[in-house]
Amino acid sequence: MCITLICIDAIKLLQERGFFVKESLNSLWNLFQERKLSRRTFMKSCVALTAILGLPPALTNKVVAAAETKELPTVIWLHGHECTGCDESFIRSTSPFASDVILNMIALEYDDTLAAASGEPFEHHLHHLLESKKGKYVLAVEGGVPLDENGSYCQVGGRPFVDVLKECAEGAAFIIEYGSCAAWGGIQAAKPNPTNTVSVSSIVKGKKIIKVPGCPPIPEVMTGVIMHYALFGEIPPLDVEGRPKQFYGNRIHDTCYRRPFFDSGLFVEHFDDDASKAGWCLYKVGCRGPETYNSCGNLRWWNGLSYPIQSGHGCIGCSEKGFWDNDNFYQRLPHIHTPNTITDVDTLGTVAGFGAFGAVIAHGGITLAKHKYDSIQEEKKYLAEQEAKQKEAEQKGSDQ
Amino acid sequence: MKRVVVDPVTRIEGHLRVEVSVDESTGKVQDALSSGTAWRGIELVAKNRDPRDVWAFVQRICGVCTSTHALAALRAVEDALGIQIPKNANYIRNMMHSCLDVHDHIVHFYHLHALDWVSPVEALKADPKKTAELQQQVLDTYNVSGLQPNDLESSTSAYPKEFPKGNATYYAAVQTKVKKIVESGQLGIFSAQWWDHPDYQLLPPEVHLMAISHYLTILDRQRDIVTPHVIFGGKNPHPHYIVGGMPCSISMDDMNAPVNAARLASVDESISLAKDLVNYFYLPDLLAIGHLYVKAGMVDGGGLAKKRVLAYGGYPDDTFTGISNGDYFKKALVRANGVVENFELGWEKATFTALEGEDLMNPDFLSEEINHSWFEYPNGETSLHPTEGVTKPAFTGPKTGTNKKWEFLDEEKKYSWIKSPTFKGKACEVGPLAKYIVVYVKVKQGVIKDPTWAEKMMVDQIDAVSKVLGVPAHVWLCSTVGRTAARGLDAQVAANLSQHFYNRLVENIKTGDTVVADTRKFDPNTWPKEAKGVGVLDAPRGGLGHWCVIKDGRVDNYQCIVPTTWNACPKTIAGEHGAYEANMMDTKVKIADKPLEILKGIHSFDPCLACATHLYNKKGEKIVSVNTDALCK
Repeated sequence: MCITLICIDAIKLLQERGFFVKESLNSLWNLFQERKLSRRTFMKSCVALTAILGLPPALTNKVVAAAETKELPTVIWLHGHECTGCDESFIRSTSPFASDVILNMIALEYDDTLAAASGEPFEHHLHHLLESKKGKYVLAVEGGVPLDENGSYCQVGGRPFVDVLKECAEGAAFIIEYGSCAAWGGIQAAKPNPTNTVSVSSIVKGKKIIKVPGCPPIPEVMTGVIMHYALFGEIPPLDVEGRPKQFYGNRIHDTCYRRPFFDSGLFVEHFDDDASKAGWCLYKVGCRGPETYNSCGNLRWWNGLSYPIQSGHGCIGCSEKGFWDNDNFYQRLPHIHTPNTITDVDTLGTVAGFGAFGAVIAHGGITLAKHKYDSIQEEKKYLAEQEAKQKEAEQKGSDQ
Repeated sequence: MKRVVVDPVTRIEGHLRVEVSVDESTGKVQDALSSGTAWRGIELVAKNRDPRDVWAFVQRICGVCTSTHALAALRAVEDALGIQIPKNANYIRNMMHSCLDVHDHIVHFYHLHALDWVSPVEALKADPKKTAELQQQVLDTYNVSGLQPNDLESSTSAYPKEFPKGNATYYAAVQTKVKKIVESGQLGIFSAQWWDHPDYQLLPPEVHLMAISHYLTILDRQRDIVTPHVIFGGKNPHPHYIVGGMPCSISMDDMNAPVNAARLASVDESISLAKDLVNYFYLPDLLAIGHLYVKAGMVDGGGLAKKRVLAYGGYPDDTFTGISNGDYFKKALVRANGVVENFELGWEKATFTALEGEDLMNPDFLSEEINHSWFEYPNGETSLHPTEGVTKPAFTGPKTGTNKKWEFLDEEKKYSWIKSPTFKGKACEVGPLAKYIVVYVKVKQGVIKDPTWAEKMMVDQIDAVSKVLGVPAHVWLCSTVGRTAARGLDAQVAANLSQHFYNRLVENIKTGDTVVADTRKFDPNTWPKEAKGVGVLDAPRGGLGHWCVIKDGRVDNYQCIVPTTWNACPKTIAGEHGAYEANMMDTKVKIADKPLEILKGIHSFDPCLACATHLYNKKGEKIVSVNTDALCK
């Protein structure tokens, strides 16, 4: 009876924690130990479990092995040409908490910024991981890859970073490009790109690569990729660029709380003018929201507290490829259809990609703005009516 | 004699390598070299850009001390163009600076430095009950919240919201988790460290458990310290600014406004939290650990701090007309501008040399040498001011090994991408320790006759800690422990600076002034054909300077001398070691191939190596390949 109950628990656990995926997050054996159950009971349960799962008895050993495995996904985090802003953003996450991520969701076995160890033992540990976890570890890369001077512009452990990257990429289960430097080359790749820095995916071929651009990306977007993997045991759905759809599926323009002002033709003309105080649209002072795919408008920073536009500055497009050379940042974007010149409805959805406008048209926004305007008018009208009625009543009173 | 290499040095920003020659019989470090091993070329990227954008470019020099490079850039451009920012913008920028100071210091202590002092393995031996008792004892003994000015108490926060969870149940829970991690074999961030090093035995197990618990608490709370960046600048790291002030307009008429009462409430709460974390976690932990080290006689690692330190100071209380004209230093709440020599002899015998606004543009005061850096200067020049800087790379590779796999670097010749900045031809240490030494000496010697509340607080802090430790200031300050302690004290002042500027902002809004930007000179047509300016501040890692030359509405030359350039530099022409090297040579190493003391010493500077400067010559000619200057804050 006891065994049956435990098996039911165990099946639940295995399903929840991903028995059917490569990496499980906790083990059945661990659970048994916590409940002070013997190894013999554990083995019996595995036999029962094999039957319940409908597997042939010959597979019992595999079930035992799976039930014993309690590995967290090993993460190797490399730093190339970068500023460590992505690491900093990563630890700003509060859902999930950074502590939960690094202690319970992943084994962050190699990361320059947080690791206790340094120098030779640290490099030795890396090489041990590359062998022992071959094909299983996740490679997170922060920073671009400088190629000139044979890669000598970035040396790590006495070796060119590009060599280290290639070595680590080889056995990776998949790769995460954290931040715009890893994803696109970043600030050091801006003109004239003095070190000839490129993205990780320009160097590494034939691997599943998740792009998580941003300078830096939003904390919960960075941990969200890990969270998705922890929850569902697989990498999140990606768009054609390799970005997780759930975080990069919308332009900031389409999710911006100031969109109704754009649609109503209400713009900030100069910083700190009356329109700035009223929070109108920043398009005319250079906002890149109309061509930037990111979650700043919906997820926002600090779990909804703000994002650059909400704080009065236009988006600089920091998650887009080559955004540094799309300067100056206070120049209005060309080719953006401005309000009251709405594109023909038939063109809806036919224009894609950044730099182009048209994927989502202002219809909803206009409605919203008009609604707000109408509400104000209605309220004014109502107040005027009330006032008139009161006057009328007073008039009547005095007449009587 | 054994030559030991540590590369990469971790728990820092950027890429750093150190090599030390240790006499194994005495543990004495005979020679040491520090090498910045990466170069990115941000200044070259900044060239020809719109000066109004340059804050965003150079901010990416570093994401750890994010916003400090943006602030230095804005100040340099505004100094060049003669722009005076509005009062509110000055208060807001100062708040963004001070909250970053607190954040950077506390994250450095718990997440970049703590694992040199405490170990999860030792924490397993602790008794959770005793740890709870220890926690209470530490709070009783090392509570220095009384050093804060009374009039900077929050008028809104009813009681401290964040305290250590000092009970046995909590410590047992953390210990159980640590145990599971250790037993799992997947040690994660705790992998491969020299946990068997005898220095970890210096502290009782309960200190280790308490500190590891606080590591986790602070990890999960630190982001709320920089909430002002998110309110005023939209995000963190890398918040947004504008030349001429701030983009975050203030209005009490609209919830759509970037700043209104509800938004100020978030800032207010963040400032109170910062004070709680500093007063109830950071300073008590720091002083408890530091006290044990001082008692054990471990006050080595002073190095260059004993001989010479430099700071710029800052936190202008009022808006200023410029930096190179000296007005910035006049308005500063922390007038740490200057150089102090020989503090190891005590403040009475130390020598103070002033550093004023005009000196920042004077090659006789500040210059950079390249004797041991992978560069050449033309015409046999040996030393150049940043505005005249020339960079011609001369990479010579390692002494032994290949470019693909270095063995040892060449300490006799060139060995770093970092240049050697000097003050009147001499190397200087910078950082919170330097800032404290300069202010302490200036006030004690009467150079500052009317200390501001912040300067007075700094002096009071030093005197109070000297009393707790039972040794004079120059003994404990000039050491690895002192460098780490000064950073904690700086965090307490910074938290109060946040409160000060928040109060001033609210007072000013109350008078009806909601202006945050002066955009009269935002249009490049209003600019002179040519202009140059300087922006300085004491960033979390020390004195930071940016020099900007503007020509025909574009950036013609851009140079930075960052704190880590001062501290991590190779030897000067005079053969003087930079601060990292001097620290290593003033540190005793117990086990040559496990140089934990070296790591501890280097980490006490909070290294930040991300950047590179001097990418083109003064004619603006592009130089194909380059150098690295250590970067940052």
